[in-house]
Amino acid sequence: MFFSAFLASLPGAVANGIIWGIMAVGVYITYKVLDVADLTVDGSMSLGGSVLVVCVIGGVNIYLSMLIAFAAGCIAGLVTGVLHTKLGIPAILAGILTQLALYSINLNILGKSNQALNSDRYPLFISMRFTPKTILVCLGITVFLIAVLYWFFGTELGHSIRATGCNHAMAKANGINTNRNIIIGLLLSNGIVAVSGAMLAQYQGFTEVNMGRGAIVTGLAAVIIGDVNFGKIFKNFALRLLSTVAGGVIYYIVMTLVINLGMNTDDMKLFSSIIVALFLGIPYWKNKLAEKKVKPAKESDENA
Amino acid sequence: MKNVKRLSAFVLAAVFICMAFTSCSGGAKKYTIGICQLMKHDALDAATQGFIDAVNQELGEENVDIDTQIAGEAPVCTTIVNTFVSRKVDLIMANATDALQSAMQATKDIPIVATSITSYGVAMDVEDFSGKTGINVTGTSDLAPLDQQAAMIKEICPDTKTVGIIYCSSEANSLYQVQEITKELKELGITASPYSFSDAADLRPVVEKAISDNDVLYVPTDNTAANSTGIIDGVARPKKVPVFSGEEGICKGCGIVTLTIKYYDIGFQAGKMAAEILRDGKNPGDMEIAFAPQFTKEYNKEICEELGITVPSDYVAIGD
Repeated sequence: MFFSAFLASLPGAVANGIIWGIMAVGVYITYKVLDVADLTVDGSMSLGGSVLVVCVIGGVNIYLSMLIAFAAGCIAGLVTGVLHTKLGIPAILAGILTQLALYSINLNILGKSNQALNSDRYPLFISMRFTPKTILVCLGITVFLIAVLYWFFGTELGHSIRATGCNHAMAKANGINTNRNIIIGLLLSNGIVAVSGAMLAQYQGFTEVNMGRGAIVTGLAAVIIGDVNFGKIFKNFALRLLSTVAGGVIYYIVMTLVINLGMNTDDMKLFSSIIVALFLGIPYWKNKLAEKKVKPAKESDENA
Repeated sequence: MKNVKRLSAFVLAAVFICMAFTSCSGGAKKYTIGICQLMKHDALDAATQGFIDAVNQELGEENVDIDTQIAGEAPVCTTIVNTFVSRKVDLIMANATDALQSAMQATKDIPIVATSITSYGVAMDVEDFSGKTGINVTGTSDLAPLDQQAAMIKEICPDTKTVGIIYCSSEANSLYQVQEITKELKELGITASPYSFSDAADLRPVVEKAISDNDVLYVPTDNTAANSTGIIDGVARPKKVPVFSGEEGICKGCGIVTLTIKYYDIGFQAGKMAAEILRDGKNPGDMEIAFAPQFTKEYNKEICEELGITVPSDYVAIGD
């Protein structure tokens, strides 16, 4: 009984997981590639939803609306990038500032805090109503997105962005315009997050100005879960992006399992935070423990 | 050492499952009801409690299996209702707008009873809403009795000529109430003017302006205003301007009187409707959206005494 119910809820969890996994790809670009913690995503997630809903209700073609949502997300990333690189505001603070501003902007775009998007009235291509098709569409978008990103990060510009994240000082010393690269990375990342927000709004049938609250934690969780599970097998960049999306799916499958088992959803955020904190902390302690092993050898050398 | 990550992942999963099993329960075939509540909030909690009490009373506690899930934020509603749908619950109770929107996307078949919704037409994105949904949705509304609130202003302050309405520009429900009560006041020969603010930071000058222009103030059911009643009180009380409010929370903070609904009542009403659907096989699409069965006249003792206002005896002091 329990098991069959859990199996039956899997398609929904997978669809939801892929949508958040795409958001996590955006987080991957800033957190892993650029080595910048960008908190703009909480705002750009809702921004994508707001822009899509307003466009669709206004009669704009659904695919064009997705593109407009992407562009809006890029602008949000651009603002964070400019605040960070041109005004010298630390990246975390720049992200928080943009996120805060986006709350007002989203309210103004929507004109209110919540707007329904009825799938009976508008030609949505993702919805909880038709989950199997939604999964296929989401997979298609994922493959397309990863292919484009794989190509982009293989170009000269893409390489210089990766170099900026790997070693900022060295990249600068080699004549790379690191500021420009950080802005491009933030722009791309937030554009992808906004697309994910636009997909989520369609899937759940409404958008809300607080929709993206805590999205950064879900995104990091997906990145980390993907890395832990597939990091050893998937070395290729495209496969790493894929493992991030898979991380999002695993996150939502676990969440659905936990809800099915009857755990109190009040504690969900606490557990998400604990998981992310643990997996972020483990590599640090691994290094620390490894260091300790070396020390006695050094001391004995000095004594001798 | 290489296995640390893997091991801790395994341990975590085990902990998760153990914790979940502790709150797991089994039982014979009963009516299963999944409650999806948007967030923890006094009003929403009261509505859920009312619903559970009504269902237990109508169907018998031993015949129902209720699973209450509190989402905390909008996207989690999706996961919760998805779980309910795949578990094939007999009925979904959606508490607050986002929960209803998720539920009606998730299923066209399972009956949905909602509560704490101000306007079903707005929440469900339906034009020319008739009072019945025609689909698998019905429920109760938390709309305050605006006509009676307008009459209340006339009753307590008979000399009122102008009313300033303070509301947050970003709340769709507030704007709706402002438009409705303006019409009601006009019929009583009172001129109402809207004064909107965007957040707590610009509330003070807006209230000052409203006070200098008007005899009394009115604050509708507005979450942002409810969180900033201290500012409104700080400006209005020294100037001895009475503030009327759309709900109890705002009245408690800065108002003199209110005519309020009890969220427990609308939850209870929703529970009765759920019982009619489950037991009597009624079609939710044919059931009228219900409103609060009774309203409570309440007053703020401290502010009324300070302004020298005596309220009729049928008003109850807040907190009593």
